[in-house]
Amino acid sequence: MSEGLSTLDKIYQGMYITVLIILAVMLFACLIRAVRGPRVADRIVAVNMMGTMVMVMIAILSLLLKEGFLIDICLIYALVSFLAVTVISKVYIGVYEEKRYQSVEKAEEINGEGDKQHGNI
Amino acid sequence: MEIFEWIRLIVGGALLLCGLIIFLIELYGIFHFRFVLNRMHAAAMGDTLGISVSLVGLMIFCGLNFTTLKMMLIVIFLWFASPVSSHLLARLEVTTNEKLKSQCQIYEDIADLEKEIEEEKKKEVGGEKI
Repeated sequence: MSEGLSTLDKIYQGMYITVLIILAVMLFACLIRAVRGPRVADRIVAVNMMGTMVMVMIAILSLLLKEGFLIDICLIYALVSFLAVTVISKVYIGVYEEKRYQSVEKAEEINGEGDKQHGNI
Repeated sequence: MEIFEWIRLIVGGALLLCGLIIFLIELYGIFHFRFVLNRMHAAAMGDTLGISVSLVGLMIFCGLNFTTLKMMLIVIFLWFASPVSSHLLARLEVTTNEKLKSQCQIYEDIADLEKEIEEEKKKEVGGEKI
């Protein structure tokens, strides 16, 4: 397959493939953190990190395959990853505050009019 | 002109290797720290420094063309996007964690923190005099 290549091209190909393999192994380690993370913020941090590594992988792949359009995919990946983190954290904060508000209302109903001062918290 | 190609290979390879090492340090930090806000500090390093160093290495491989410009655009976009997402994640953690006081020190008012810093400065100056 690589008979017509010079030594320089062979070195480039070997280096790209080695770096891709190392990045893939680190990606799996990151996935372990995302599965084990005790809180939601841990998981989002790990997924954000995975996105960064995948961006580097796509950029290397575009040089390995000599296809310029893969860089556009990399750019769009960066945009979508940023949007995902923003939207997920905003939605999670909203859901949490709504739940807390509901539980405060329930507590007010149970306590009745006896101690309004505690209900205001 | 052969020698320039080799120099380009060595410089770009060294930068790419630096990027990989930074990613490795980031991964170590993610597993080493115990609390999310500390982990976020380690994870923000790869988002800006790691990807910019490794993409500069790839830019040197690529030469001067339109693809290089797009890689530059990715790096610049991440410089702006990464602090914003880190800020949102920190706010998520502070809002939803009810046991935050047991995991880190909290100042209710920023004036308390400033007072403490000034006291520490005074102590340091006094120590030098003695």
